[in-house]
Amino acid sequence: MNPQTAFVVDEVSNIIKESVEGAIGGNAYQHNKVNQWTSNVVEQCLNQLTKLNKPFKYIVTCVIMQKNGAGLHTASSCFWDNTTDGSCTVRWENKTMYCIVSVFGLAI
Amino acid sequence: MEIVYVYTKKRLEFGRQCNFSDRPAELHVDLAPDDKLVHDFIEKDPCDSGIQCAQEMSEHEVNTERFESESRGVNHVEGGWPKDVNAQEVEQTIRYRKKVEKDEMYVNTILQLGSVMEHCIRQNNAIDIYEEYFNDTTQESAEEPSSAKTINVFRDPNEIKRTATHLSWYPDGAKKLAVAYSNLEFQRSSPDTSLDSYIWDVENPNKPEMTLKPVSPLVCLEYNPKDSHILMGGCYNGQIAYWDTRKGSQPVELSLVEHSHRDPVYKVIWLQSKTGTECFTASTDGQVLWWDTRKLGEPTEKLILDPTKKMNIDNALGAISLEYEPTMPTKFMVGTEQGSVVNCNRKAKTPADKIVALYTGHHGPIYALQRNPFFPKNFLTVGDWTARIWSEDIRESSIMWTKYHTSYLTDGCWSPVRPAVFFTTKMDGTLDVWDYLFKQKEPTLSLQVCDEALHSVRVQDNGRWLACGSHSGTTTLLELSDGLCVMPRNEKVLVTAMFERETKREKILESRHREMRLKERSKSEQGGGGGEDAEREKEGDEEEEDLVARAEKEFYEAIEAEKKDRAAKEAKRNEALKKENELQGEVIMEEDGEEKLNGHPEKDGGTPDNATE
Repeated sequence: MNPQTAFVVDEVSNIIKESVEGAIGGNAYQHNKVNQWTSNVVEQCLNQLTKLNKPFKYIVTCVIMQKNGAGLHTASSCFWDNTTDGSCTVRWENKTMYCIVSVFGLAI
Repeated sequence: MEIVYVYTKKRLEFGRQCNFSDRPAELHVDLAPDDKLVHDFIEKDPCDSGIQCAQEMSEHEVNTERFESESRGVNHVEGGWPKDVNAQEVEQTIRYRKKVEKDEMYVNTILQLGSVMEHCIRQNNAIDIYEEYFNDTTQESAEEPSSAKTINVFRDPNEIKRTATHLSWYPDGAKKLAVAYSNLEFQRSSPDTSLDSYIWDVENPNKPEMTLKPVSPLVCLEYNPKDSHILMGGCYNGQIAYWDTRKGSQPVELSLVEHSHRDPVYKVIWLQSKTGTECFTASTDGQVLWWDTRKLGEPTEKLILDPTKKMNIDNALGAISLEYEPTMPTKFMVGTEQGSVVNCNRKAKTPADKIVALYTGHHGPIYALQRNPFFPKNFLTVGDWTARIWSEDIRESSIMWTKYHTSYLTDGCWSPVRPAVFFTTKMDGTLDVWDYLFKQKEPTLSLQVCDEALHSVRVQDNGRWLACGSHSGTTTLLELSDGLCVMPRNEKVLVTAMFERETKREKILESRHREMRLKERSKSEQGGGGGEDAEREKEGDEEEEDLVARAEKEFYEAIEAEKKDRAAKEAKRNEALKKENELQGEVIMEEDGEEKLNGHPEKDGGTPDNATE
């Protein structure tokens, strides 16, 4: 498989981590900023992914949850070409919140 | 023949082959609930949050087509006459006009032009969007009970309160109210009492619009009906002063003390005159004085209210109220402290003749006197515990009167819009509204305006607004309900009938009284009958053969005779009894004397029974 055209999970995972750090960093949970953060995270991720210049369509989602003791469970299933496509989910957290970012890459 | 066209495309160009398969569900995140973290949070209780209850509205603007209207004018100068017709000569022009109007061409042209002209005129008829369609329908508001509500209360702003003695409405609309303040209790006012009177804006009870600063407190104050800037005031010390509101708080001119009244000026009224500068005043010193504001140095005319017509001021009646009706400019009436109303004519030849008639009936001062605005022959007086309605023709007694109230009446006035309605104020702080067509025994509406005595009342010309002043200077502005200030359709007719009926009744009673008096006099004089009989016959002729009255008279005479007969019999019997008693008494006395002489000391006096034993 050609790494130039494949979905490399590690690579994507790094991109996600960087963009989350860049958008949220050391901030504590602030209700009125969450909207801004989620869109920043998603946009930064997409920017970085497109810079990879791979023949992929991308789907990026971002969930931010305040750490107040509530549980959170998400799952996904896909119908795709298992050989080329892939997904990557990163769970990032600090003292006050969780940030869960999923990226789905679909080869063209 | 079959037409076949073959497209060819390599598999390569279709793109990558789809080879999809299912990826099983994959759990991305699995965060278990953590109770510990909850402790970092504090529940917010209570919690503020705003909710908008109002319906959401939207505003749209639409620009409709503008309807342009335009005014145009044409200045038509008469002209176009032929040379031989002089336009200044009426006869010539008429003749020429007639000639032209007969011309057939002229008629045709006019007919043609008429339709064109009409079309032009009808254009540009802008619609009056504010037109009221149901303006002339009369309200049927008889069912709802009459009421009044307080609109404003104006308090005397000074520390030491004074009585609101007189009120005057601004003549151009119910915008302002002039109130005269003075303490009428004789020698009771402390030297610190303010002298000022005020003009109030009816919408601002916090601060008077203007202060009037007289030399002595004002007892009465009156707007000039012709010039709403001018006010005339009568002072407690008898002086007259007038103000021009454009010239400030100080009076423009003051009358001289030596030519003024010697008692408080209780009433001032502006006269109907061309200049609008004349007025007259009344005071308890027994004088009525006429003034001209252009020359306040001394009164222009003077009348002493001496009922004996000798112009002696020592006999004069103290005037406390005045009445003047602009439609009868030479007549006026004065209400006196002694309870009588003096009807006067200003234009009489001699001063003594100015007093035309005297109406007596009240037991105390007449505080208010006013002619009915619709029937000036009938007037209202307020004094002692009653309000009375009089007819000018009947001098003996009023034609209608209220019952005797438990507290004194202090002021009263007619409604300017309804002939049967009048208002009275009382010492107990109530305002009574009387509708004499509706109820005669009780007021239609009795309103406790304040807890202290009311002193003055005045209705605005619209008949809806009414102001009353109280003893401690509080002026209350009331608005009356529709029922009290909208005249029912047939009220005028009914009131006319009522006044006429009552006048007739009083006339009959009066003539009967006169008859009885004459009879009594002739009886007492008995012998000197000749002349008196003639007089009586004459009187009888004057009575115009009122059969009912005569029948009544005869009946009462019979009763009277019977009564006298009985009284005489009674008297006789009484006398007889008295004589008997006296006789008995003498006997007793004699016996007593005997016993004493005979010497029975233990039986001294005792009862007559004892004595006779």
